Amino acid sequence: MTAADRSFTGPLERVDECCYRIPKSYKPGMRADGLVFADERLIDLVRGDQAAEQVANVAFLPGIQTASLAMPDIHWGYGFCIGGVCATDPAAGGVVSPGGVGYDINCGVRLVRTNLSLADVRPALVTLVNQLIRDVPVGVGQGGRHVFSPPELRQLMREGVEYLLHRGLATDDDLACTEAEGCLADARPELVSDRALARGQDQCGTVGAGNHFIEVQVVDRIEDDRAAAAFGLAPDQICVLIHSGSRGLGYQVCDDALRALRDAPARYGIALPDRQLVCAPVASPEGEHYLGAMRAAANYAFCNRQLLMAQVRDVFARVFGRPWESLGMELVYDVAHNIAKFEEHAVGDTRKEVCVHRKGATRAFPAGHHDIPDRYRAVGQPVIIPGDMGRASWVLVGGPRSLERSFGTTCHGAGRCLSRTAATRAAAGRDIRRELERSGVIARSRSREGLAEEQPAAYKDVDLVVDVVHRAGLSTKVARLRPLGVIKG
Amino acid sequence: MHEVFEHTADLGLRVTSATLDGLFAEAGIGLFEIIAGDTTQIRPRLERAFDVPGIDPAWLLLDWTTELLAAFETERWLFREFTVTVHERGLHATARGEPYDPAIHTLAHEVKAVTQHELDVCRTATGWEATLIVDI
Repeated sequence: MTAADRSFTGPLERVDECCYRIPKSYKPGMRADGLVFADERLIDLVRGDQAAEQVANVAFLPGIQTASLAMPDIHWGYGFCIGGVCATDPAAGGVVSPGGVGYDINCGVRLVRTNLSLADVRPALVTLVNQLIRDVPVGVGQGGRHVFSPPELRQLMREGVEYLLHRGLATDDDLACTEAEGCLADARPELVSDRALARGQDQCGTVGAGNHFIEVQVVDRIEDDRAAAAFGLAPDQICVLIHSGSRGLGYQVCDDALRALRDAPARYGIALPDRQLVCAPVASPEGEHYLGAMRAAANYAFCNRQLLMAQVRDVFARVFGRPWESLGMELVYDVAHNIAKFEEHAVGDTRKEVCVHRKGATRAFPAGHHDIPDRYRAVGQPVIIPGDMGRASWVLVGGPRSLERSFGTTCHGAGRCLSRTAATRAAAGRDIRRELERSGVIARSRSREGLAEEQPAAYKDVDLVVDVVHRAGLSTKVARLRPLGVIKG
Repeated sequence: MHEVFEHTADLGLRVTSATLDGLFAEAGIGLFEIIAGDTTQIRPRLERAFDVPGIDPAWLLLDWTTELLAAFETERWLFREFTVTVHERGLHATARGEPYDPAIHTLAHEVKAVTQHELDVCRTATGWEATLIVDI
């Protein structure tokens, strides 16, 4: 079957310049509308695969509030689409679905700023990228320098980044600039299986493969001076973007949950159009079990990105011959884009605590929200949007309409527009590494597939995606960053 | 026979065989082709046995491929050949390969998991066909 056979032929009704509706009447069993944030430039890509069908399928979940939502970087996933948001009300029989978080629990990004300029880094760029791929574990089958015993892993999953703080691998500022201060409360590491522990024992502090990466970037332009100043960003400044998640440990926690929940829909009388949407009521032993293990894996992911940042700091210190502190390598923010969290939101005329699933979607709280670090509260939560390795990434700030329109959520990236097989075909006979080099990007990958499948053309134009969330008021533009060097699996 | 088919973010695997035993063996080969790219680099010099319980063929396929993935993830096994016997309570299999050695083997994809999305095992006019999608 080809991609063309899989296009969405259902209704996508225009709501406004940035939003389309899949009406509840589209499929019997939908409990709410689907809403897709996109404009006329992106909507044809949305129609190109089955992602919109998945938005409709998510609307079957019991207790769903307002609508099944999708961000403009939407693309076809498994069960949930990537770029999907679903809030459920536990008090109304609302469910939690591991597929609404994904295998890579707390996959996310963190942005590190430096006090270096493009002129400082340009002469050392090749050396820097070569040193990064030499020193930072990246790729399939690559273990890390940090190996944790099962008791150590359980403590790490209970305490989050604070565990690393006590071992000199994090600072107070690192914690303050990490979502949830690097630790979700009520984590239940004792519910994480031995197999998950085995997969995770040597992977904390490793990038992995797929779309994960570490990128050296330069601030290309500033769109919001006040927010950029608050985030410590200025034109021509060098930053590092780290994208990874909970590695094999998190994948296994999700897999274990899907297995444990296989019979749950039948047990609770829940009809689902796709078995990957398997779920259980939040207020059930199965739901609580998953949430406890998921939070433990999320804390592992915060620690993974923290250890990756520590290794990046070491590499910069080695290459530039100065301690990382004197290079100004401070964390701007670390934010999850695969997670489920309980948050209070307005639904209709009432405020209630809902379980917000973000699957390839980023929290984007506006200025004043109590969950934003003190240093950023006046401007809003930093939102970090990786694009592709050839064009751009963005720093946004939580938008004024995110709470009313999307449960405080925005996009998480550019979103794929080519399948991995199509991208590989498109790369046949080409040298992607050389092409990137000609455009000023030094790319190093552990595998041929890493660069071919992740080539810039495999992704939508992140500028278009960001433009939609900006105009929709979900998050607004602060700074555009351009890639200079990338390491990938 | 097996083929990798398009899925936007991940990879799909479609497997056909005249027998159910052959279908499960072929799915194992397909999985390691996704992980390692070229499976001819894997020497079938060591054996490992698997016993996977299950009745429903689709769930059994999911559990079988998940066990193979776990053997790679936790013990670094790379497999190239499989002999599978499906019985009324599940399957027994012998997988042949060797541990991953970065000096010998190159790897192509990090498979996070075998998903339940579009998971299917069905009879065809000529035998059996299976569909599964792996998360990359």
